[in-house]
Amino acid sequence: MSVGEWEIGSIELPFSEAFRITLENIRKRFVRAAITTASIILGIAFMVSILMMSQVQQSATGVVEGIRAYQYWLLFISLLVSGVGITNSMLIAVAERYKEIGTMKCLGALDRHILTFFLMESSIIGGIGGILGYIIGLIAAIIYGAMQFSMEAVGKALLSVGLLGFNIPAVISLLLASVILAILLSIVASLYPAYYAAKLNPADALRYEI
Amino acid sequence: MRYEYTVETEDLAKYYYMGRYVVKALDGVNIRIRRGEYVSIMGPSGSGKTTLFNMIGGLDRPTRGRVYIDEVDISKLDAYELAWLRNRKIGYVFQTFNLIPVLTALENVMLPMIFAGVPREERIKRATELLQRVGLGDRLYHKPTELSGGQQQRVAIARALANDPAIVLADEPTGNLDLHTGLEIINLMRTLNKEKGVTIVTATHDLKMIDVSDRIVYLRDGKVQRIETRAEVSAEYEE
Ligand SMILES: Nc1ncnc2c1ncn2[C@@H]1O[C@H](COP(=O)(O)OP(=O)(O)OP(=O)(O)O)[C@@H](O)[C@H]1O
Ligand SMILES: [Mg+2]
Repeated sequence: MSVGEWEIGSIELPFSEAFRITLENIRKRFVRAAITTASIILGIAFMVSILMMSQVQQSATGVVEGIRAYQYWLLFISLLVSGVGITNSMLIAVAERYKEIGTMKCLGALDRHILTFFLMESSIIGGIGGILGYIIGLIAAIIYGAMQFSMEAVGKALLSVGLLGFNIPAVISLLLASVILAILLSIVASLYPAYYAAKLNPADALRYEI
Repeated sequence: MRYEYTVETEDLAKYYYMGRYVVKALDGVNIRIRRGEYVSIMGPSGSGKTTLFNMIGGLDRPTRGRVYIDEVDISKLDAYELAWLRNRKIGYVFQTFNLIPVLTALENVMLPMIFAGVPREERIKRATELLQRVGLGDRLYHKPTELSGGQQQRVAIARALANDPAIVLADEPTGNLDLHTGLEIINLMRTLNKEKGVTIVTATHDLKMIDVSDRIVYLRDGKVQRIETRAEVSAEYEE
């Protein structure tokens, strides 16, 4: 590619560098990341506890009751609320970094690099939130099951296969489901903020005084 | 290839439409800046200095007119080519320093080189040399918050020079610094201008800039009021 006398070379952002900068961002802006994570934790913990509790009930009573329609509805609403929380938190994160985004563009960043930074950040936060949400939800379900039924029923439920259609013990299938869903949810909820950040005009972004 | 003019503007205008009002931030600016020159843009607040920098720096599109950098009309560049222009041809220095807060001084200087695809070993070597050159050889691993304003601005200058640009645009680089530190920064920029032959354009209301500038462009209400060479300015002072 050449324009006039210039040979237009490539503009790059290697994955490893983007990842490193993103980790620094999360570390340095821990409070903001923690708020976003909390949103995910709540949604995922709720999901895990509902699924697990019905599983415990099943193994204790032997009655295959499944999950009731209203529970699915609650689940859907809780994930939606969680998603809106993430979007909100990421929009604030973008506003806090207007000047930084403008500076990055001055240094050569392409729109898609800005997009990468924000989506990478939300995937990492999503993964962490998913794991924490899983742990909290599972503990809640175990306490509930042990008090309502017995530790034995809980143990059976944890190892029972077939939950969510996976042919693996529920403890593991729930973990996988939590992490994957949390990452997807976090990415989807961050698409708009990340896109907005990527499309910022550098002159406007630099003008912005916090 | 060596170009005679690093920057050329032709009837450059930028209007902002605010409801029924039109703000003519720039209105028909024609300037030519030679390779290796040190030019100061002087003018009161609101005269259009930052707007001019945004146009020359490829950060915003003009309403009318053209900007040539190294004789290339930058209105013809697409988004990718503009990013390349900002990365390789232009270095930016801001009043508020604008270092990336989560990165160390060294990492800040290396960032434009990452975008340019410079291999890691060479990045570290070049960034270290640049930081040593601006007098921060012992602050490589400091984060911006651990540096004084003057030190942060030195890092910003090193970063602006990372990919050997044709031009450094400095918008009120001494605006947030005390008199003494401001003078140090100005002298550093002048020295680097001589040493590396890089063209420097600074916006300022700072009269200290006059002594080091080859030429001074006076801007008022988005128009060039007059252009003086240093000889002329010195003569005025002697009167
Ligand atoms: N995004 C914008 N929207 C509307 N008006 C703008 C915008 N940017 C600049 N202006 C107007 O354009 C004019 C020139 O602004 P500019 O920032 O270029 O001035 P300046 O010379 O850099 O001033 P200062 O010395 O205060 O930095 C001002 O009247 C300003 O209000
Ligand atoms: Mg200004």
